[in-house]
Order: sequence, then C-alpha cells, then structure tokens
Amino acid sequence: MKDYAEPLARLIDELKRLPGIGQKSAQRIAFHLERASPEEAERLARAILDAKEKIKLCSLCNNLTEQDPCEYCTDARRDQEVVCVVETPYNLISVEKTREFHGLYHVLHGALSPLQGIGPEQLKLKNLIERLKGGKIRELIVATNPNVEGEATAIYLSKLIKPLGIKVTRIAMGIPVGSELEFADEVTMLKAIEGRREI
Amino acid sequence: MPLRETEALVLRTYRLGEADKIASLFTRQLGRLRAVAAGAQRPKSRYGGMLEPLSYIRLWIFERENRDLLRINSAELLESFFDMQKDYRLQVAAQFVAEVADRFLPEREVNDRAFRLVLAVLRTMKQSGETNRPLVYFDYWLLRLGGFLPDFGHCTSCGRGLADAPVYYAAGFEGLLCEDCRPPQAMLFTARERLARVVERCQATLSHWTGEEESAGDLREVRHFFEELIEAHLERKLVTRPLLDEV
Repeated sequence: MKDYAEPLARLIDELKRLPGIGQKSAQRIAFHLERASPEEAERLARAILDAKEKIKLCSLCNNLTEQDPCEYCTDARRDQEVVCVVETPYNLISVEKTREFHGLYHVLHGALSPLQGIGPEQLKLKNLIERLKGGKIRELIVATNPNVEGEATAIYLSKLIKPLGIKVTRIAMGIPVGSELEFADEVTMLKAIEGRREI
Repeated sequence: MPLRETEALVLRTYRLGEADKIASLFTRQLGRLRAVAAGAQRPKSRYGGMLEPLSYIRLWIFERENRDLLRINSAELLESFFDMQKDYRLQVAAQFVAEVADRFLPEREVNDRAFRLVLAVLRTMKQSGETNRPLVYFDYWLLRLGGFLPDFGHCTSCGRGLADAPVYYAAGFEGLLCEDCRPPQAMLFTARERLARVVERCQATLSHWTGEEESAGDLREVRHFFEELIEAHLERKLVTRPLLDEV
C-alpha cells in the first residue's frame, strides 16, 4: 500500500525538487496546501505559472524582468556611465538595497567555476562587451562574490575590458561590519589590508 | 564523540540549507571525507576564507552516531591558494586536481603520499604559474599510487609486447593498444618516446624537474593520455577537463 494518495505523493515529489526542501519539509508544505482553501492553493499555482510565463531576461542587462528592457535600464535618472556587474539577479537586489548605487547593472548568471563546468562561454558576457563598445560607459564595478570563483571572474573581466579603455573597479573585501578582528582568518585580513583606504 | 585533529585540503564545498556548507575534504590522518561546516555561508562566519577550494587547513572534527557526515568544530588556515586561483588558467588546473582527487581517492582511506602529492602540485603551480608539468606529474603519480598505472610496453587488451610497432589509445581503455586490438575510434599514440622521458622525469621530486627539456605541446599530449586513463578508471567524464583544454 502506498503511503500517500497519488496526487499528494506527486505534490511531495515535486516540492522535494526545490532547493533546500527535503522529504519532511515537502510533506509539511503538501499537508498545509491540502488543508488550505482552494482559492489559496490556486493563488500559489497561478503565481508560479505567472512567474514562469511573464518573466524573461532583459536584453541589455540580463536581469529578470517583465518588460524588456528592464526598469533599471530604462530609468533615465540612473547614471548611464557606470555599470555594476553581479553574478545573479538577487545579488543585484543586495546592491540596490544600499541606495547608494545609481548606475546600471549587468547580470552574468554565474561565475567562472571549473568544478561546475562553468567557463567564460557559459557566462552572459557577449552583450556586456557590446554595451561597453557602445562608448558611453566609463566605469565597470565588478561586484562578484568574494570567493575564488568571484575573484577569478573579476580578474578575467578586467583583462577583457581594460583594453577597451574603461575603468574597471572591484568592490572591497575584508572584515564584515560588526565582527571582530580577533576572529578574522589570514585571507580575510589580507584582503582587508590590501583594500585599505585613506581616511 | 571525541574531537579529532587533522590537516586537510578543501576539495570543494556545497551549500547546505541557508547557512551551512558541506565540505569535501582530503584529510591527512583520516582520508577523504565530507563534513558539515555550520554557519559557513553567513557573512560573519568564523571560517572566512578557510573553506575556499584547495585551502590547506588544520581542522578539529567530530563524528556523531548514525550520521554519515562529520561535523567541523573549528579550523585554522595553514596555507591559502586563493590568490593563485585569481588567474583563470591556474584556477582551472587547480580545480582539475581537486575534482580528480575528489573522485579518484576512496573515502576514509588514509593516503599520506597522495596528500603530499596534491600539496606539492599546488605549491608548484602557485610558485611557478605553470600548469602542464605539475599536472602531468600529478596524473602520473595518482595513477601509480592508485595501482592503475599500466605497463606501457604491452598491449592492455591482449598483453602482446608493443616493441616498435604503432600503438594506439582510446577513451575507456586503461592503457596502450596494439594494431589488432584497437577499436575504430582509437587514435595513434605518437608520443611514446616523450612518454618514456616524462615517466623518467616523474621519478624525481617535482622541484627537481625543471621542465626545460620538454615543450608545452609534448607535455600536453602525454597529459591527455594520462587523463584518458583516469577517466577510464573513473568510468565518467571529468567536468573540468574540457575547460583545461580551452585555456
């Protein structure tokens, strides 16, 4: 005899495919949905379908958007001469939350990671180079993650872009705000010293 | 459970939930194993850059009953290969080493010689910026230490002596092949003399092999052959290998 009725088992199986959801969590969500009203379940199903049907990549910056070009690329108030390069659309949100950056973005959709089979060909670099060759951009800020993959991507980009005469900068790396030097490892401390600035 | 102290090389990490990571580690005293690093994804994680690929660390680890994964209690960095991997060419080469070690070495089997080999290869790459020579050395010794190095003087299929006859190699075969045993897709192996020279060079330590005698092309051909042997034993393609050919 099966543990669950077929539709419920299928729902649990589908939920288990989501990142961070294991068997137990999938069961909990499935039973929650089973108890929910039909309207509530339909709202969730509609939201998933809408996101899949309506969201596409911006043809200029590769951000996830409903309209093409996206709202960042079409906003005339933003500084058109500075582009911030990030790995993923949610990294873009992190930069945007600072409210200190008013330029444009470019999403690579990954970083150079040989262990995951990601090389330069797999990154969204082609339209970045086309944008830069347009001649309007004077600075490119590389905001890839502060890990081996992000660093390799930043250096790769800098080698590719500097010959175009564009200033390439890298976000600072080092000690996180609120932590203590005592607990910093050598790599983090070294990066903090390398990235020091005059005050 | 008691804490155990060991030196380790971080082969790779995977995300676990929102805050933790699973680290695949090649430890000196416990062999290859996987362990959970709690909170390693947090910005203020006490691990910082310690769990970046190929970091050489000292760690304190413990095991819990009925759990497959060990847990890292604390760690300290002994040597970092972070800056070396800023260069994409070296990053690919170093992560090829990590991938092969991760797939080739049996779990929980102590292998001090393989540990020293990986460390020596990484240090040579870091100091010289060179990839071909350290990778050939790594491939050769890993095959030899694993007991998979074939007899290059005989056909791996029929055992016949190869002498001066043309020899071939093909994906999925664990050595050189004679004319009669070669499958249709086999390639003529033209680097026999170079292979013999490279094998001779590999008998000394990596620091004694200056690499001046062999061209990059010679070394690359021998390296390709060794990589075919490694893939034949793993019975799977290596993810980093196509990228290694591109750089």
